[in-house]
Amino acid sequence: MSWTLFKATLHQHRTSMFWFAIGLVSYAWMMTWFYPTIGEEYANIIETFPPELLAVFGGSEVPFSSLGGYFQTEYLGIMWILIVSSAVIIYASRAFAGEIAAGTMEFVLSQPVSRVKVALTRVIVLVVYAVVLAMASFVPLEVFGPTYDINLGWDVTGMLIAFGTLFVLAVGGFAMLLSAIFRGGGKPGAIAAGLLGTLWVADLLSGASEAAEALGPVNVIAYWQPGLLINGEQVASEAWWLYGGIALVSLIAAVVVFSRRDVA
Amino acid sequence: MDVISTRSLTKYYGKTKGVADLTMSVPQGAVYGFLGPNGAGKTTTIRCLLGMLKPTSGSATLLGEAVSLDGADLRHHIGYVAGEVRLYEKETGRWHMQYAAGFRGGKGRLADELLERFEFDPSRRVRELSKGNKQKLALILALAHDPELLILDEPTSGLDPLNQETVYSVIEERVAEGRTVFLSSHVLSEVERVCDTVGIIRGGQLVAEEGVKALLGKRLRQVGVEFAEPVDPALLAQVPGVDNVTAISATSLTARARGDAVDALIKRVAERQVLDLHIQQASLEDVFLEYYRDTAEPVAAEGGEE
Repeated sequence: MSWTLFKATLHQHRTSMFWFAIGLVSYAWMMTWFYPTIGEEYANIIETFPPELLAVFGGSEVPFSSLGGYFQTEYLGIMWILIVSSAVIIYASRAFAGEIAAGTMEFVLSQPVSRVKVALTRVIVLVVYAVVLAMASFVPLEVFGPTYDINLGWDVTGMLIAFGTLFVLAVGGFAMLLSAIFRGGGKPGAIAAGLLGTLWVADLLSGASEAAEALGPVNVIAYWQPGLLINGEQVASEAWWLYGGIALVSLIAAVVVFSRRDVA
Repeated sequence: MDVISTRSLTKYYGKTKGVADLTMSVPQGAVYGFLGPNGAGKTTTIRCLLGMLKPTSGSATLLGEAVSLDGADLRHHIGYVAGEVRLYEKETGRWHMQYAAGFRGGKGRLADELLERFEFDPSRRVRELSKGNKQKLALILALAHDPELLILDEPTSGLDPLNQETVYSVIEERVAEGRTVFLSSHVLSEVERVCDTVGIIRGGQLVAEEGVKALLGKRLRQVGVEFAEPVDPALLAQVPGVDNVTAISATSLTARARGDAVDALIKRVAERQVLDLHIQQASLEDVFLEYYRDTAEPVAAEGGEE
């Protein structure tokens, strides 16, 4: 890793990282704040929904009426995915393809730093980014929770941070691989976002249609069940392996591809 | 010792030729002008030399080391100014200097001197800089650590004449200290001003390589003759290697002599009584245009790839 490049990359993404983190902290705090207000009514509200609609939102394996179900449906199931995915896809798209298109990669590689170091450093910053986003998402539940009668415990929060970090790394890693392959930040971002959207739709439809469940084994959205952890249960071990596997393979491939490609 | 050496260097972008079968060498202490119009393959060659592009075939060595895509150590000894300067728009000049210093283990012994000579304010963000000031920053970043090899792609683009002169002075000083400069340009006066050797690239191929003085001195001359009596222009037009014969008046002719044709031309002129004779070396621009004339044979074809 290049320490100079690490500092510079963090410096250049400090503003976006800060605002995404602030947004997640605010959102998490808002959801804990709302819980006492709507929590008790939540089960009643959910019961008024038609079964088909519930099935669509029922990609979650978590009972709607539980604390985990509340957070999964209202925060972590859709909005959180959109926020963190946007953050890391933007970062990853710029990490290689965006800088090549902007011409700044030519300046970076005119310095005495190897391509492998450049790529590894950008990957390490992604890991930092993922940890920051996950902590901004889940630490507020632990910090603000007790005020609103939500008591997760640091062990659960730690699991949520780890699970969230892996999810973000899987999405970011895939986007980074695309960024190492293509030229121009737009294409990798569009493909990554498009694929994520497709998986999300597939997950929604799988609640209503058995045919859509075919994507289940590789659908990163379907495995995203943090509500189970909030409820003190365990997520499927396949979820950890899937996220970890995608992240590891994508990031290694991104380093290899970037170190061998034309960068101008 | 050759600081730059390429052997059959070839780069294709898909089916499009960037540079083909380029074999050349630049000795230590030389200022090598790499001349050609836009799209001729100059930047592709430079990017292959710097390991930013992977050659389709062939090889290159810089400072005795084979160029590879991951040649970080080699770049310790190289300063590079890109043809189109692209830096981080939101960051300041000082940030860029510190950034480069972080990789190179220090800000470079020439950094302060260059800031002063170019009268550059490093506190301003790149997006606030004019094209000329961006170019100054790129030059400072490339030169600050006093590299053994300078690779400059259109280095004076956007600079005013005063700063252009500063660049030329800096180049001359570096060369005087044994540094080597590879300068790509289509500004002929620039090449004529600072280079001692020029390579001309056309359609991705090196069509000629020769010393600038030799090229200017031997290849093209504009000759003007004032005869004592009226003469037929055919008198000069019949001389092999002479063309563009123009009758200014009944007794005055101008002509262009290529290569060694000037000797035969003078002998032909001497057959008549001459009142006045002017011989002017053609500018590098004339030589350059000669290489790019589709219909003409290359002037120094025999001098290519020496």
